[in-house]
Amino acid sequence: MSVLDDISVLMEKAFERISQADSLAALNDVRVSFLGKKGKITAILKDLGKLPVEERRQIGAAANNARSAIERRIEEAKDHLGSGDSRTFIDPTLPGTAQPLGHVHILNQVTDDICRTFYGMGFEIAHGPDIETDYYNFEALNFPPDHPARDMQDTLFVEGERVLRTHTTPVQVRELERRKPPIKIITPGRCFRNEAISTRAHVAFTQVDGFLVDEGISVSDLKGVLVAFCKAFFGEDVKLNFRPSFFPFTEPSAEVDVSCILCGGKGCQLCKYSGWLEILGCGMIDPNVLDTVGIDSEKYTGYAFGLGVERIAMLKYKINDIRLFFNNDVRFLSQFK
Amino acid sequence: MKISYQWILKLSGLDWPVKEMADRLTNCGTAVEEIEPTDQYMEKVVVGAVIDLKSIKGADKIKLATVDVGSETMDLICGAPNVAVGQKVPVALLGAKLTGDFVLKKAKIRGVESCGMICSERELGISDDHSGIMVFDSDAPVGTPLADYLDFHDHQLTFELTPNRPDSMSAIGIARDAAALAGVSVRRPELDVVESSEKASDYVSVRVDDSDVCPRYAARIIKNVKICSSPWWIQKKLLVSGIRPINNIVDITNYVLLETGHPLHAFDYDRFGSKEVIVRRATKGEKFTTLDGKGHDLIPDVLLITNGKSGVAAAGVMGGLDSEVENTTANILLESAYFAPSIIRKSRKYLGFVTESSTRFEKGADPNGVVFAIDRAASLMHELCGGEVLSGIVDCYPNEIKPVTISFRPTRCNAILGTNLTTDRMKEILSSLEMEVTGEDKLIVKVPTFRPDIEREIDLIEEVARMEGWANIPDAIANVGPLFTPIHRCDSFTEETRTVLTGAGFDEIVNHGLVNSKFAKEVNPDLDQVRIVNPSSSDLDAMRNSLSLSTLVVVEHNISHRNTDLHLFEIGTAYFPPDNHHDWREDQRIALAVTGNTPNGWRRTPRPLDFYDLTGAIEHLVAHFHWPAFEYVTGEISYLEPALSFDIRIKGQVIGSIGQVAPKIARLAEIKQPVYMAEFSTTSLLEMNVPIPSFKPLPQFPAAPRDMAFVVDADVLAGDLLTAIRKAAGPLAEEVNIFDLYTGKQIEKGRKSIAVAITYRSSDRSLSGEEVDVVQDNIAVVLKKKFNAEIRDK
Ligand SMILES: [Zn+2]
Repeated sequence: MSVLDDISVLMEKAFERISQADSLAALNDVRVSFLGKKGKITAILKDLGKLPVEERRQIGAAANNARSAIERRIEEAKDHLGSGDSRTFIDPTLPGTAQPLGHVHILNQVTDDICRTFYGMGFEIAHGPDIETDYYNFEALNFPPDHPARDMQDTLFVEGERVLRTHTTPVQVRELERRKPPIKIITPGRCFRNEAISTRAHVAFTQVDGFLVDEGISVSDLKGVLVAFCKAFFGEDVKLNFRPSFFPFTEPSAEVDVSCILCGGKGCQLCKYSGWLEILGCGMIDPNVLDTVGIDSEKYTGYAFGLGVERIAMLKYKINDIRLFFNNDVRFLSQFK
Repeated sequence: MKISYQWILKLSGLDWPVKEMADRLTNCGTAVEEIEPTDQYMEKVVVGAVIDLKSIKGADKIKLATVDVGSETMDLICGAPNVAVGQKVPVALLGAKLTGDFVLKKAKIRGVESCGMICSERELGISDDHSGIMVFDSDAPVGTPLADYLDFHDHQLTFELTPNRPDSMSAIGIARDAAALAGVSVRRPELDVVESSEKASDYVSVRVDDSDVCPRYAARIIKNVKICSSPWWIQKKLLVSGIRPINNIVDITNYVLLETGHPLHAFDYDRFGSKEVIVRRATKGEKFTTLDGKGHDLIPDVLLITNGKSGVAAAGVMGGLDSEVENTTANILLESAYFAPSIIRKSRKYLGFVTESSTRFEKGADPNGVVFAIDRAASLMHELCGGEVLSGIVDCYPNEIKPVTISFRPTRCNAILGTNLTTDRMKEILSSLEMEVTGEDKLIVKVPTFRPDIEREIDLIEEVARMEGWANIPDAIANVGPLFTPIHRCDSFTEETRTVLTGAGFDEIVNHGLVNSKFAKEVNPDLDQVRIVNPSSSDLDAMRNSLSLSTLVVVEHNISHRNTDLHLFEIGTAYFPPDNHHDWREDQRIALAVTGNTPNGWRRTPRPLDFYDLTGAIEHLVAHFHWPAFEYVTGEISYLEPALSFDIRIKGQVIGSIGQVAPKIARLAEIKQPVYMAEFSTTSLLEMNVPIPSFKPLPQFPAAPRDMAFVVDADVLAGDLLTAIRKAAGPLAEEVNIFDLYTGKQIEKGRKSIAVAITYRSSDRSLSGEEVDVVQDNIAVVLKKKFNAEIRDK
């Protein structure tokens, strides 16, 4: 056999070992045994001087070619193996190592959802104080002096002739006082009432009120906005029922039921088999309220509505105890992303 | 309020099924809350006759009754005290479903098998009476299904009425709405008062001393009544409404109250004490005993019906004991009056009663319904009690209360509702509600006095909406209002804060702000509190004057539920009463708290959370909002551990505090592990003008990073070192960071080793090694001189 044949056999052998190598160490072994100081190709190159001159060039070129071919194969094989010194094992089922995220409180998530939906319809967000005067909480909103809501049994009074607001509607009066129509606002916030704490009732609750005052505003506009809100919030298929009701600061007034979000109106435990869930109060702002803040109730009309965030959150997430919201147990908080 | 469905059908002339009736009434604002069939507990209950009664050996409370139920004769056990041979009684057969989810099954009591049960009114759902079994007239046909015999196929409708609608607090009132929905008018019962020749005015006179609170007082005399129980058709209506039948006279006044909504009172004429009714406010301290036997010391807020000498009734609330109708009563003085809502409200509050009468007077009775009610009652007393109605009504009504007249613009009505109703339709609605409507373009509407809630055009528009139905008002499909909706800084600030802090692993908590005032005093002894006058619980009798109060409660709650590792924050309000310098204040704040350990994981070892976890989160906020750096200056905060508490300052102004909760406070809050808390006001931060950053060109020359390690005294502050290094390094130092801090064995006690990384860079050239060495040497000199530093490496 000629030396040229030896070279090509060595090259085949080297290629085979490269393809079998499963680590960088194994590749290195291949390298050492063929191209190392005592390697087989290296030996041929070392012995070139012993060969006749006419063969020297031919065999030298073949050996050098073999050497660079093997080197190239080893480099390519390295790319396939990765950069570690052994084939790296990745367990993709292990949890990642980023800082765990905290959670936005569910009441704020729902409040934000409601506000965003109304913002999409052009309502600006406004806030007011939690500790209110009788004037803003009751008088300017057309509550007669002997209205039961003004009673100690219903309202928490604060030393110094103030009350803890019983609704966020006082913000409506404050905004109407300082702006000129058109005024289109929602007022999210904390409200209070004198109530024993139970699974269904709490001294504190969260309300989102909204109103629009402009020329030519009608019940039809009110209905349109509430239908749009409920569809955006509860789904396209939701139905609404408006039941005439009474609030001191709106006339005409109505309470709004949505078709049950659980059974769709067929009747279930959630809706007490009525098919409906009461979620909103609404009406046209009473002319007395507009006149009180100095807005001409002949020229301008307006609507107002209010909804309870806890109730909506409880319905949406099937929460069965209102106290959970203010207990702030992290096992509760972390359930809502 | 509960009213019979059959009664509404009769008065309205409608034939709507009960569900439709309830839905349509609800959708016109007369809300039906509950529908209950009156015969639901009468299935498999029949009329039976008691044939025989035997005592049972060893049992003295129960007897063995033999009962004929038509189809068979059966033995059953009966424990009622009033059972007797010969009685006709209701007998429940096997499978009967009685009240209280009770299904009758075969039972064996003391060896005797019983296949039926004789029932009380309560068991049949007729009333609350469980004192004995029901007993029927002797001619009751044996074997007849009970509901047929009693004619009890009806529904009890429970109404949830709004406070503005006293007109709907009666069968006629409800039927009026129902009829109006069908475009017809309510059918009031026809009156036929047969009067005798004697004049009522010869028997009684009426004088009203306080006509401001008693605008009208009318009386009739009915002589020679026979007191007995009232006929079943009256009892039935009362029972369906939850009112106990008593005797025919009292039942008639209650029946008329339910029918017309107008409260009446019947006095025993002979025990009234005089022939003169005088209506006046009570004098202070005046004594009076109400029907229930309770004595009262009155005040002028109670309106009294007197006989000229003493009180006989608390007007509109409750009668007195001395003039009550009894079984022996023969002559009746019947009162029908109109009392002002305000006096009845005060009066019933003072006396501590709420009665069917007081509720109706308080919401507003009809001054002009007085006569109809008294005549209706008088004619029934004639018909059912054999009474002789004396001629005439003694009616004291000095100033007639006239119906109000309101002008009504159909165009305005359509504009408010967003409808296209015709004027005729509006007229039809208003007329069917018994209003007198005249005019064409502008209607003139005369509102009956039973609608005290209607005073303005908008009140009439509400009536149109109610009767037309909100469902028939179109839903607008276009948006109206201002052109532009701004987002305010306070709202985006809140949202961004939540994003940053939840991103840093903090859970948001929400508190209502009500706290225990004593706890608040312990935590913040120097801060004023907003106190609640009428707290619902003594634990919630003040508004918090720092968020930390609530945070401590939440931390305790979680730890006691074994959630021991906490990262919490709240964006909330602290409340302050007015003082010499400020009005009422509601300060918006952020509070943070950490306790326990960092999360465990396969690549991280938990370590205790501490102060630096708080400042780290705050640094996120500072960076996000481009605030100037917070400075932490040793301070004295009442609820924080003295050595570990700091004021948070920004540009020299104190905006909050940070540190470890003091052991005394932790003990009070029942927390047994270290808690670190921070709280700061965002008011000034929100007002701060944050400049819009302007672009800086990216560096063109390479940075030269160098390290320096040195040992200083343990109490040297890192901030002071960094400031000194930056100053000594001059403009070439782009960034200085501490990357190692060590105290321990290899360092002398009371000293610490610090390593800093300094990045040098020039904007106009590549820095040479020699250039940087000079600066490094300069820093070393300063550190040695200023901090007694021992340079270990540079
Ligand atoms: Zn349902």
